[in-house]
Amino acid sequence: MTENSLILDPTAPGASAPRHARKTLGGLEGKVVGFIDNAKPNFHHLVDDLAELLVNRHGVASIVKHRKRSASIPAPPQVYADVREKCDLVITGSGD
Amino acid sequence: MGLAGMTICSTAFETLGRAQAKALGCPDLPLAIIPHPFGLRTREQVRRIASQCAEDIARIAREAEAPVGRSPTNAESPRGRRAQRIEAPGDHDGFNRYCRDRRWSDGLPHVPPTPARVDAMLRHTRRAPEDVVAAIAPAYGAATVEGIAINAVLAGCDPEYLPLLIAAVEALGDATFNLQGIQATTNSVAPWLIVNGPAARRLGVNGGLNCLGQGSWANATLGRAVRLILQNIGGALPGEMDRATQGQPGKYTFCCAENEDGNPWDPLHVERGYPRPSSTVTVVGAAGTLNMNTHAKDADDLLRVLADTLAHPTSNDYHFGGEPWIILSPEHAEVLKLAGLTKADVKRRLWEASRMAASRFAARDYARARHTRGPELGVMTADTQIPAAPTADGIGIIVAGGPGTHSVYVPTFGQTRAVTREVEVEAEPAR
Repeated sequence: MTENSLILDPTAPGASAPRHARKTLGGLEGKVVGFIDNAKPNFHHLVDDLAELLVNRHGVASIVKHRKRSASIPAPPQVYADVREKCDLVITGSGD
Repeated sequence: MGLAGMTICSTAFETLGRAQAKALGCPDLPLAIIPHPFGLRTREQVRRIASQCAEDIARIAREAEAPVGRSPTNAESPRGRRAQRIEAPGDHDGFNRYCRDRRWSDGLPHVPPTPARVDAMLRHTRRAPEDVVAAIAPAYGAATVEGIAINAVLAGCDPEYLPLLIAAVEALGDATFNLQGIQATTNSVAPWLIVNGPAARRLGVNGGLNCLGQGSWANATLGRAVRLILQNIGGALPGEMDRATQGQPGKYTFCCAENEDGNPWDPLHVERGYPRPSSTVTVVGAAGTLNMNTHAKDADDLLRVLADTLAHPTSNDYHFGGEPWIILSPEHAEVLKLAGLTKADVKRRLWEASRMAASRFAARDYARARHTRGPELGVMTADTQIPAAPTADGIGIIVAGGPGTHSVYVPTFGQTRAVTREVEVEAEPAR
C-alpha cells in the first residue's frame, strides 16, 4: 500500500448547480410558440410540419419562425429579443 | 413570466443535450427526441416524425417545468474559486489509474499536479491564481490562472510555459473563435496553436523541421495542456459533449511556432498588428492537415497546384465561408518571394484560383451553401464560383518547417476565425 499525496483538482469548480427559474406552461392552448431552426438538413420541414400541427391540433395561437445561418453559431441577438418579446415557449434544435 | 425553453434533439445528440443543459444550470431542460440521422429522412418520413414530435411537445408543455431566462456562464465573475486539494494515490500507477477513473486523461500518463508543482508554475505570471481567464464551452467552466496551471502540470509543461497558455486560453474564449461550436461538433476540428515572437525561441517551440511532429517538449505539452483544459474545465469529454465523429490526432496536441527566419515576409503576429518584439499565440480551428508536395519552382505553377488542392467539395470552409490556412515551407515561400509576390498577393492569388463551382457540392450541401453563403454571394447557381473564404484576406498563411518541398493545407471548421493574443512578458519569478 503506497501513501497518498496531495494534488489539485484540474476540473472547473462548482460547475452544475441549477440557476434557472422554472415554470409550468400548463399546455399549449393559446400560447405563442417560437422556433429557432438550427439550419440542419430537414429541420425547416420539421418546423413547418410542427407549426401546422401545433396550431391545428393543440390550439397554439401563433408561431414565430427564425432560422440560424448554421447550426454551430449562435442566433443573433435580435432573434433572442424577438422570441423573448413575442413567445411563451421557444423550441430549438440540436443534432443531425 | 419568462420565456420557456425546449429542445428537439436527434437521438445521437441526446447525451450532449442533457449534459450541456446540466452544465448551463438547467438540468431539467425538456428534450423532445427524434430519430437520428434526421437529415437523411424523406419528406414523408419527416411528416410522420413531426406528428409524433408534436404530441411529445404538447405532453411536455402540459407536464414539464421548463427553464426560463437566459443562460449564465460559470465564469461570470472575474474572480474564480481556488482549486480543491485532493488526496490521490502517491505512486505513479495508482495516480494514473485515479486520473483515468475520473476521465481527466487524454489517454496518456500524467504528471501529478502537486501544490508545489502548481506553485512553481504560478510564479511565472503576475496574474492572481483566482483570475478567470475565460469561460470554456461547452460546460462554460471558469478557466482560472490556477486551473490552467494545474492542467499544464498534468500535461507535463515546464513552469515557464504558463503565460503562453494563459494567452492561448484567452484566445480560445474569444467569441469569434466559436469554442462552443468547436467543442461540441461532429467535425474533427482541434485548436491549432501558432506561436510567434521571442517566446517561441525562449521556450523552445519548434517551427522548423518536424514542427508538427513529435520530439519537441514545448510543442507536445503546450498543445496537450490545451486539450486537457478543454476537457477538464470545458467539459468536452469524448463521446459525451465532444461529439467528434472520428476526431483527429491533432486533438492530442497541435502546436508549432512560425519559422520567422525562413519567412521572407512579415511574420503572422506583425501581419495581425502586434509589434515585432512581442510574442503572441494564435489559435486556429483546424480540421486536419494535408501534405502538399510539389517541386514547382515557378510561382504561377506553384500557386496553381496549391489552389487546386484547397478546392474540395466536402470542406467546411467552402460550405460556410471559412478561413483555410496554408503552412508554406520556407522553400515554397522563397519561390513566391523571388517572383516578387507579397504575402497579400499570394493570398489573393490563392483565393481567386481556388474558387470552386457550386455544382461540385453534393445536392444537400449545395442547398445548405445557398442558405449559409447566400447573404455573402447572392443568388447561387450551379455555375457560381465559390471562394473558400469570404475575402482574400481570409486565407491564412504562415511559414514553418525545415528544408523540403512540402507545404501543408490546414482546412478549418469554417465557422470559426483565428484569434491572436499577446503573451504576457514574464516577470522575474516571484519568491
